[in-house]
Amino acid sequence: MKTPLDILFARHQNAAPKLDAIRRDVLSAEFQNENQIPFFVNLPLALWRELFWPSRRIWTGLAAIWILIFVVNFSQRDKSEMMARKTPLPSPEMILVFRQQERLLAELIGPDELRVAEPPKLFLPQPRSEGRIEILMT
Amino acid sequence: MKMPEVADIEQLPVPEARAGEPGAWDTLFRRYQLPLYVYVFELVRDKQAGLDLVQETFIAAVRHIGSLREDNKFGSWLFGIAHQKCVQRWRKRKEIPFDEIPETLDEFENSPDDLLIRREQETEFMNLLNQLPLPQRSVLLLHFVEDFSLEEIARITETQLGTVKSRLHYAKKSLRKLLEVKNENAA
Repeated sequence: MKTPLDILFARHQNAAPKLDAIRRDVLSAEFQNENQIPFFVNLPLALWRELFWPSRRIWTGLAAIWILIFVVNFSQRDKSEMMARKTPLPSPEMILVFRQQERLLAELIGPDELRVAEPPKLFLPQPRSEGRIEILMT
Repeated sequence: MKMPEVADIEQLPVPEARAGEPGAWDTLFRRYQLPLYVYVFELVRDKQAGLDLVQETFIAAVRHIGSLREDNKFGSWLFGIAHQKCVQRWRKRKEIPFDEIPETLDEFENSPDDLLIRREQETEFMNLLNQLPLPQRSVLLLHFVEDFSLEEIARITETQLGTVKSRLHYAKKSLRKLLEVKNENAA
């Protein structure tokens, strides 16, 4: 009498050599390759496999959010600098008019008087006893 | 007949495999290669596909050993990977073999290992097994091949415990009925 397990294994026993070959192939591919690959290549591969690939959807979502933020940020940039660069230089007539206006303004207001700042008082430190005598004298 | 070079679960070098020792992986794969192939083949019914799925399972096991929580659950974890590979294959081919089966269970019979089969019934048994729906066949095979507990089968097939009980019950019932019909016809 045979059990179902006996029948199942007997039926597939002829697959054993192929399974041995598969086992050897997998082990040689997974372990020898890992040793042959230099560290600076193996590390990113390991990171990719262990860090990125298991949660690839989350990482992709984050990347999409960042791209969206960059796009929004870029589209709302201050354009005044670019506009200033694009505006043409004033013509010589305009410059002449500006200078005339400056001159007229100077005549109306008068020349700018320079205010001379008062020089700071020199402070000579005195002994404390002399200061006391001065107070007593007053 | 027993599996070649079977090692006790307690003796399996899972910690060494975690540490990346190729010898430990060799021992583990030797232990599970035939049961795994039997399980996968009986689900997909294709020799080459069965071998490919075993290879994919081995590669995935080496690469994702970090996801194994308990060392003593290595067997069910490995069969879980193989089961997922089968499901992925069916999804690619747009086959949905794991259809709904009623989960109510009035009685739960003894282990299916009590099914002893005569030599002349071997072929019949295999034919009958293949007549079972895939979900029932999957549960029955896991019970036959590795003697997994119902909880472990539920984990491997990612189904509820009640569903596993139900599938096992119906699988045994169907097998018995089919065997009876065959015997009656033969008589």
